[in-house]
Amino acid sequence: MTSPALTLAVPARLRRRRARLGQWQGLLYIAPAMALVIVFFVIPVLFTFWMSFHDWPLLGQPEWIGLDNYVRLLTDNKFFTALKFTGYYTVITTIAIFIVAFPLAIFVEKQRRGAGLYRTVFFMPVVVGLATASLLWVWLANVDSGLIGPAIRMMGFGGKKVNLLATFDGAFWTIIVMVVWKVAGFTMIILLTGLQSIPTELNEAARIDGASRWQRFRRLTLPLMRRTIALALILSVTGSVLAFDQFYIMTSGGPQNRMISVVYYIFNQSFVSFHLGYGSALSIALLAILIVLSIVQLRLLRVGDDK
Amino acid sequence: MLKRLLATASVATLSLVSSASAADTINILVRTGIGAAFTGVVEAYNESHENQVALTEVPFAELVQKYATAIAGGQAPDALSLDLIYTPSFAAAGQLEDLTEWAHGLPYFDALAPSHVKLGTYDGKNYGLPLSVETSVFAWNKDLYQAAGLDPEKAPANWDEIEANAEKIRALGEDTYGFYFSGGGCGGCMIFTFTPLVWAEGKDILSEDAQTATLDTPEMRAAIDKYRSMVAKDLVPESAATDNGSNFLSFTNGKIGQQSLGAFSIGTLVNDYPDLHFGVTQIPGIVSGTSSFAGGDNIVVTKGTPRLEAVKEFIEYMYSPEAQKVFATNGSLPTRSDIAADVLKGLDPRLQVAVDAIATAKTPYTVLFNDLINSSNGPWATFINAAIYGDDVDAAFSDAQAEMQSIIDNAK
Amino acid sequence: MSAVARHRRQRQKFWGGFGYHAFGIGAALFFFAPFAWTGLASLRTGSEAQQPPLPPWPTQGVSFDTYAVLDTFGAGIWQHTLNSALVALATVVLTVIVSLLAGYGFSRYRFPLKNVFFVLIIATLMIPFQSILTPLFIILAKLGLNNSLVGLVLVYVTLQLPFSVFMMRNAFDAVPREIEEAARIDGARDLKLLVRVLLPLVMPGVATVAIFAFLNSWNEFLAALILLSDNDKYTLPVLMTAVRAGRLGAINWGAVQAGVMVMTIPCLAVFLILQRYYMRGLMAGAVK
Repeated sequence: MTSPALTLAVPARLRRRRARLGQWQGLLYIAPAMALVIVFFVIPVLFTFWMSFHDWPLLGQPEWIGLDNYVRLLTDNKFFTALKFTGYYTVITTIAIFIVAFPLAIFVEKQRRGAGLYRTVFFMPVVVGLATASLLWVWLANVDSGLIGPAIRMMGFGGKKVNLLATFDGAFWTIIVMVVWKVAGFTMIILLTGLQSIPTELNEAARIDGASRWQRFRRLTLPLMRRTIALALILSVTGSVLAFDQFYIMTSGGPQNRMISVVYYIFNQSFVSFHLGYGSALSIALLAILIVLSIVQLRLLRVGDDK
Repeated sequence: MLKRLLATASVATLSLVSSASAADTINILVRTGIGAAFTGVVEAYNESHENQVALTEVPFAELVQKYATAIAGGQAPDALSLDLIYTPSFAAAGQLEDLTEWAHGLPYFDALAPSHVKLGTYDGKNYGLPLSVETSVFAWNKDLYQAAGLDPEKAPANWDEIEANAEKIRALGEDTYGFYFSGGGCGGCMIFTFTPLVWAEGKDILSEDAQTATLDTPEMRAAIDKYRSMVAKDLVPESAATDNGSNFLSFTNGKIGQQSLGAFSIGTLVNDYPDLHFGVTQIPGIVSGTSSFAGGDNIVVTKGTPRLEAVKEFIEYMYSPEAQKVFATNGSLPTRSDIAADVLKGLDPRLQVAVDAIATAKTPYTVLFNDLINSSNGPWATFINAAIYGDDVDAAFSDAQAEMQSIIDNAK
Repeated sequence: MSAVARHRRQRQKFWGGFGYHAFGIGAALFFFAPFAWTGLASLRTGSEAQQPPLPPWPTQGVSFDTYAVLDTFGAGIWQHTLNSALVALATVVLTVIVSLLAGYGFSRYRFPLKNVFFVLIIATLMIPFQSILTPLFIILAKLGLNNSLVGLVLVYVTLQLPFSVFMMRNAFDAVPREIEEAARIDGARDLKLLVRVLLPLVMPGVATVAIFAFLNSWNEFLAALILLSDNDKYTLPVLMTAVRAGRLGAINWGAVQAGVMVMTIPCLAVFLILQRYYMRGLMAGAVK
């Protein structure tokens, strides 16, 4: 219908008029999205904030208690244990995901036969829901009817049956493997976009200058991919800090409560102990933590801007 | 204020809906897999009555959350089949309909399962009535007893005997185990099957008024030692360590020699596993005596439901001899003792063992049951796993004792 | 180049290719095996289903027992699949429309508080959904959208917005303004301009947004469980919680395998059919 070739200068008068009109038009375009966000996000969050100043039982009458919930939070050992575990989990998963996803991204970036197929296969687990993936791995890790334990026995490591989920280490690493399986493909694609945005001439020039493969990766690839890495990092960190399904479904928070993430703790306080008010205060605290974490990471992102 | 506003708004919409049809449809929330006993009664009711009952099933773990959220949103079901141990806390929260007057008017009120009525009573008023009655009993697999050279008709009388039998059964083969329990954070399963070991000795994990945790007793230590020893001797399947209750009835696989289970399971075993030959006896105490946990569900009614009369009609039907028969046929114990003998006539005699257990059975009365005991992350569930599977039994005791006491104190 | 050197090069190339594909196949196995294993295992007979899947394929003949068992949970697979499909479809359509408009607005217009609005939408990612469940429920009840698939769809659309609006804004940013100016001079205005001229240009972004909306709404379980209260309205993931909880004190692993397949196959199908757009859209959107 039109082509860029037809481009003509737009008279300044018209442009100004459109700018004024545009103010309202722009708002009109974003109105549906804002309406949804306000009704189903902003108001619920404000409501949660309001609830955090109450002793708000799941059943029964709420009672205003001011800052008591926040005071309690500061001395709540279990909250800090959950925070510590979540931090530990976040660091380990993020490292594990990057260790797997980076080589995969470099691998599928090569213009070779089969690269597209490999990329598709690596990405497949991403489309499965986290709850479904957790359930699938619960089965694989099941001591009697699953795959991993019986397979280990079948390969001749006899003796007792292996119940992977019975010990902290076994359960933790099973979850890490599950999460890497599920998420690595997504991180891979994001990193791939970063790799592809690096001009090939740069790499070529460095190679001719005698830089080794590792040097090129460290001095050229990594710095140029800063923004992409930051994006992948933010997504991975946010996802891990909010982790819940995998612990809920795979281990019920055990063994011996050692896998209670912050969101799990919020869930328990709100819906098991019926302290919705305290659960709300914890949510607000978590929101604050996430915002700070994101600002720190966004700084990282901005550093990449002044290339 | 906002809450009240919401409540009136929703009541208005509800009444609009209900006036549209002459016959009422009662919504009852039940846990997934409540079983043929109750669904059978509901079917029979729906066939013979103008009012209809619609069941909404929710997985047990999410049931309380679901109901509470529904109340907060003013969309609560009319009634709920509630694990009886929750009745005090729900009643205390002021969400349940006071049934005292009507309930006391029922001619058979005094014959209703006593522990259910006790748990259904809060501040002298009645908020819950028995829906299903369960007691915990000890079961053994007769075929495996026979194969292990034990007398299949002789019930074990104490835990030393149980352990010795377990060893013989374990020797039968790689996949045959002597004993089973759900030790992976299933507080509900373990209060049901394990506390009878200390109750039989007159000890308890909570004081009479539920204000003091009394976990650390010689009897409890002896009971824990017994389970530890059976685990250490590899008499218990590895899967027990992570069973959060989903595989509570592992006994059905025919490869487990002995297990404490519920009366309800007797029905399941008889009806669904006719090839499994098993015996049932009272759960022995760790030294002497026997005990049991009286469990099951209460039916409770949401405060202010517009279909109160219909719900009452349904409850009365539930207590009729024909409905009681449906319950019993499906392995649920009769809730009315006055007609229990009639109802059980011609049914599996093993059910009688479970009925007898009611005499010695206990149920803890505390508004904190969920927090203290049922939650898979609560002190009781954690204690069981740590004490039986962990390395430090003393720490497991002291941690759980302290944690329980702090939950009780914080709630004051 | 000497013959020896050429020979060495060839050998190097061969081993390079060998190493490349050895790595590729190894990694692909890790990512693909769980699907294959579950799919094959789900075709075993009911009695075999509780056994470890070694080997994974049925040894007593192919059967659909596990799927039949799955069908006995809740109101049956078909009903729940239909609910899930309706919810997913509606979520996709609404998400695309809303994020298309918003993405365009954010990319092309200046208006007061623009950044505040944008951050607000992105912030939806930052709060655990479990925390706002109770208020959400109350609001839905107030709007009369409780226990309705419509309410659930609206919540899902909101949860999709941060990602979708971000994607669409970037997609529009990548479209040269000149195209728009030219179209305006040709007389295309506003919505017509958006639909006729710009939509085809941001199609990869739309496909990406659509796929993600589909996947997330198809797989979500907690909101569905809490916000719906009729057996007949439950979506598939809620059925899966029942399967997970076991029945009569035992988990039926056959039903678990069948359930995982029923949950997964539509997702894989949608992904494989649309992946060409999807990858492109994701890449274009992520670079920004």
